Amino acid sequence: MSPRSSRRWALAGLLTPATLLLAGCFLVPLGIMATYSVLSPGLYGGVEWEFYPYNYGRVLGAPLGDAEEFDPVYAGILLRSLRLAAVTVVVCLCLCYPAAFWVSRLPGARKNLVLFLVTLPFFANLIIRVYAWMLVLRPTGVLTRAFDAVGLGAHAPDLMFTEGAVVIGLAYVLLPFMFLPLYASIEKLDPALLQASSDLGASPLQGFLRVTLPLTAPGILGGSVLVFIPAFGNFVVPALMGGAKVMLVGNTIEQQFLAARNWPFGAALAMLVLGIILIAMLAYAWRFGRVDGAVRP
Amino acid sequence: MTPKIRSLFVVPLVALACALPGAAAAEGRLSLYNWGDYISPEILERFGKEFNVKVTLDTYGSNEEMLAKIQAGATGYDIVFPSVHMHDIMAKLGLLAKTDLNKMPGFANIDRAALRAKSDPAGEYCLPYAWGTVGIVYNTKKIPELKSWKQFFEYARKNPKKVAMLDDMRETLGVGLILNGKSVNARKPEDVKAAQEIILKHKPDIGAFTYEVIPLVQSGDLHAAHYFVGAMMYVLEKPDTLGYVIPEEGATMYQEDICVLKSAPNKANAMKFLEFMMRPEISVLNTIQQKNGSVNLKAMELLPPALRNDARINPPASVRAKLQIFEDLGKDLKTYDRAWTKVKTN
Repeated sequence: MSPRSSRRWALAGLLTPATLLLAGCFLVPLGIMATYSVLSPGLYGGVEWEFYPYNYGRVLGAPLGDAEEFDPVYAGILLRSLRLAAVTVVVCLCLCYPAAFWVSRLPGARKNLVLFLVTLPFFANLIIRVYAWMLVLRPTGVLTRAFDAVGLGAHAPDLMFTEGAVVIGLAYVLLPFMFLPLYASIEKLDPALLQASSDLGASPLQGFLRVTLPLTAPGILGGSVLVFIPAFGNFVVPALMGGAKVMLVGNTIEQQFLAARNWPFGAALAMLVLGIILIAMLAYAWRFGRVDGAVRP
Repeated sequence: MTPKIRSLFVVPLVALACALPGAAAAEGRLSLYNWGDYISPEILERFGKEFNVKVTLDTYGSNEEMLAKIQAGATGYDIVFPSVHMHDIMAKLGLLAKTDLNKMPGFANIDRAALRAKSDPAGEYCLPYAWGTVGIVYNTKKIPELKSWKQFFEYARKNPKKVAMLDDMRETLGVGLILNGKSVNARKPEDVKAAQEIILKHKPDIGAFTYEVIPLVQSGDLHAAHYFVGAMMYVLEKPDTLGYVIPEEGATMYQEDICVLKSAPNKANAMKFLEFMMRPEISVLNTIQQKNGSVNLKAMELLPPALRNDARINPPASVRAKLQIFEDLGKDLKTYDRAWTKVKTN
């Protein structure tokens, strides 16, 4: 055996566990979901093994049986989920972009401390953190008392069980996913480039738009994708902080698999979510996935 | 029994290994799969000690969650606690073991009226466990006395966002059906649609659809909330702040049965557990801890009079006549699904 082919065998051997893991834990379940999404629902959950392509039509509002009329209710849920996820991305970006600049200019030890603090919330259970927010936002909670303390009690906003509360909750939970990629690209930014642009007569705004922004774009997009995906499918935050009055696609899928006992329709909805996320990922990979040189001027 | 969302929070695997000296030497095992907080830990401990069995308890938050898990092939559980309509479904799916419990001596203690499952009228499969109503829990400092759904919604109109309803398709649409004088098992699309319209009409005044209301009602953030009789655990602890009412218009009731699975690995111990639960002195321990309705007539006699005579837990016949229990709707469940999605999105 030549040294090259033996190296190839060794590589194949080393990659086998990862390949098996991906195939067994990702491709097989995905295949099951895709198959179920075109089957007929079983009366008590599960599926009947007969081809039934109408689940996808129902997502778009097509009526199913005589009890229904055309009604794009599910398309509306998808759109609302997209909108809330997009708003969450913008909120996270506005909070993290300046913060990442500040952190990148800190001296070494303090920088590490701040980075540690950013990841600290991961050490506590998600549900507990969301509950803590409910204690803050509820009408007799910390927020109202803070307004009272400065004499603005009458103006305290009642955010509990509103769409605003859902955005606050999602942004809070997903903030680190925006911060870390942003920080990574801002950290790499060479201040000399900005200096050079200013030497060449660029205003600070021009410097930001034509130097800083393009150079940190991979971080912005990476963070946005990482925040968008979990925000889109989340169902715990809308259930708890939105009082389940704002139905998102994650809650709808849960309802289909449990209360409504319609697994194929839930699977079809899940496949659609997957498709939308895949498009976002492909767009990202297409723009930034090749080489760093593609974006670096 | 309806605390669905618990599944999200309660540590799903509450391993309640009955830690008695020499538990390692336990002769057998018994594996229960029950709703969260729905059996007194003392019962499990006593059973474990008496029969030298290691008892484990896993919890679920809804009938559907339990069924989905059993259907997906979860094995290792001996006993589940389905609601009556789920008992029927599981019987239809052939998941339950025949126990002939009506031939056990303790069966004489069980209220025959509690044999509610259509699939099991003689009590050959499952043992009736406990029952309760779904009404309204309220803060008595905000509302001194609450009597009806009508009052609940009128209060909500004047105090928007201070009331909550359950995040439960059939319970909440059920309130609409009750207000229209329909059965909570109505199958006609127009009846379900009318119920949907009622809930939608009041939706702007409703703060949330949720199960997690007790701390919020206690703190006064919510003034009243659709909730099941399990609220009595808290009402009896804080009688000056909390109240519970079965609304005048009527309400739904639930009952769970103790069923042995066909796939039970420890069937002999499961049978012993059924016999154990029929004993009045054991059954009453559970009722005292749970503060819900009992189906064991002999155990009722042992119940402290304060609990037995509390009309909120054991309502008089005139109120009982207004209680309805959910049935399995089969294919017609789809009508409710669509209506509920409309309620949650409009």
